Amino acid sequence: MATHQEITDSLKAFAEGYNSNKRLQTMNRDWNRVIQVLTTDIESAHTLELKDGELRFWEGAADKPDLTVLADSETLADMFYGDITPTEPYMNGTLKIMGSEDDIVRLDFISLLIWGE
Amino acid sequence: MMIKLKKVLTLRTIVATSAGLTLASSSFVAAIQMAGFLAGDSAWIAIMVGGMLCLGAGACFSELNGMLPSAAGIRLYFGRAFGDTVALAVSLLYMFVVMCVVGAESYVLGNILSEALPVVAPVVWILFMFVVVTLMNIRGIRLAGNFQDMVTYGLMVSLIVLAFVGFYHTGFRFTTPVAPGGIVPVINAVAVGVFLYVGFEWVTPLAEEVTESRLIARGMLVAVGLLSIIYSLITMAMTSAVPREAIAGSPVPLLVFARYVLGEAGVLWAVVICLASSITTFNAGLISVSRFFYASARENVLPRVFSKISMRYFTPWVAILGVLAVALIVSMLVLITGRYLVLLNTAAAMESIVYAMSGAAVLVLRKKSPGLPRPYIVAGGAAVPVLTIAVFFLLALSVMAFDPVTAVSILAGLGISFWYVMKVVPVLKEKNSARRPAARRRPAPVSESQPEAIPAGTDTGSKPEKV
Repeated sequence: MATHQEITDSLKAFAEGYNSNKRLQTMNRDWNRVIQVLTTDIESAHTLELKDGELRFWEGAADKPDLTVLADSETLADMFYGDITPTEPYMNGTLKIMGSEDDIVRLDFISLLIWGE
Repeated sequence: MMIKLKKVLTLRTIVATSAGLTLASSSFVAAIQMAGFLAGDSAWIAIMVGGMLCLGAGACFSELNGMLPSAAGIRLYFGRAFGDTVALAVSLLYMFVVMCVVGAESYVLGNILSEALPVVAPVVWILFMFVVVTLMNIRGIRLAGNFQDMVTYGLMVSLIVLAFVGFYHTGFRFTTPVAPGGIVPVINAVAVGVFLYVGFEWVTPLAEEVTESRLIARGMLVAVGLLSIIYSLITMAMTSAVPREAIAGSPVPLLVFARYVLGEAGVLWAVVICLASSITTFNAGLISVSRFFYASARENVLPRVFSKISMRYFTPWVAILGVLAVALIVSMLVLITGRYLVLLNTAAAMESIVYAMSGAAVLVLRKKSPGLPRPYIVAGGAAVPVLTIAVFFLLALSVMAFDPVTAVSILAGLGISFWYVMKVVPVLKEKNSARRPAARRRPAPVSESQPEAIPAGTDTGSKPEKV
């Protein structure tokens, strides 16, 4: 089981990877979204906000997110660090993402472009 | 846990999506094929029976979808119930069959357009449609929700009006409307008639866009009910207004019917109906399969090349082109051989297999995972799932019995699919694991001295930070 701090660190690594990729920022400049990250096994919530191509995050839940990412703490920490792709836990039901299908695919693309295969 | 989302789908859109994916130009071909098994104008009986059976399958899908709301659909339900090998093999074959349906649909639509404008050959229309839909997919253009609702409901109303025009033309006279000619013809007709409902359950990927998963269940059931009525009316109108020899075996029965009752104005009406029917099926088929290709490549189940993304449009362009290539090949084969009915029968048989498996998955998961939350449970205990398994298994056998080519295609497809999953997938996975970085990026946890978790929503004293 990962801790809240580990998830925070993984999101920090994810956000650093994103914000250091100028091309990714340009590609997402029109994709303004609020993404909530919740865990199923510990009490932990984070919010990611993509606005004008920039990504920032903070601890705590969002009021009305566009997307909600829900998984156990281990899966979330591994996924945001890029040690696993989101696809496998998504396909076996460990990872749930609530939101529009296009947004879900876009989130996976971002992860692919930050961490590679 | 109740999750709030900014945008949620309404029942209206769920019904429109489910019915819109199902209504296709090739459905009218299947309707006439099934009417061919039955005496007089009694096709409505088989259509209604088929619809009722699909309601059973729909109820099973609703229970599965409520438990596991995910765009992964059958891949996830069957994976949990029967293991990954079976789930993957069946999903791969199912997706291939969907590509074949797209190929058949393009052939039928190409013929309709060519009939209306004979100077342009069907092959040109087929190529044109594929290029347009592929470009739309690569550019990530989707029909807006409201527009799609409008098209689908407009299409339903249009079909009902056209059916009544046909009834008026015949003076509301029908030949043996309640005497189908025996039980065996009805079984054969229902078996083919399953094709009329192919795709109603493709609405389950929308589960992630609703906050109340019972809406998906309700939407599927309403859509199947509406489709049963509309297909019954239009099929009765076609069989009662047009001599059987003029319509049987035609790839464009709706157009023949519309011309028969309304002349050239009818042709235009039929073309508009078929374009509207095909646009949603065609586009949704290509989108679903290309996304499946992409996700499978990300999972290392298909070659990595299919996970390539367009840096401009954020779409999986190689997967889209791959689907285009397969659908185009199927379409050309149909154009050369003229054997489009094999594809419709294969799709009906494969769909029946998937429906039967959905019933089995409900029963297995009730035993395996009794604790999973089930916002929707099929009423009547095991009766509906058991009936769904038995009926759809028999219907699949029935299609394969009267069409040996379909039987060979399905059995060969299953064989190849299982061989691929058991022999090729492990190689792809191994190749990928060798490519991944040896060290994990995530630091090893510092044991015994981990900081305490911060409860959700706690003010950490820090402003939202830009990293």
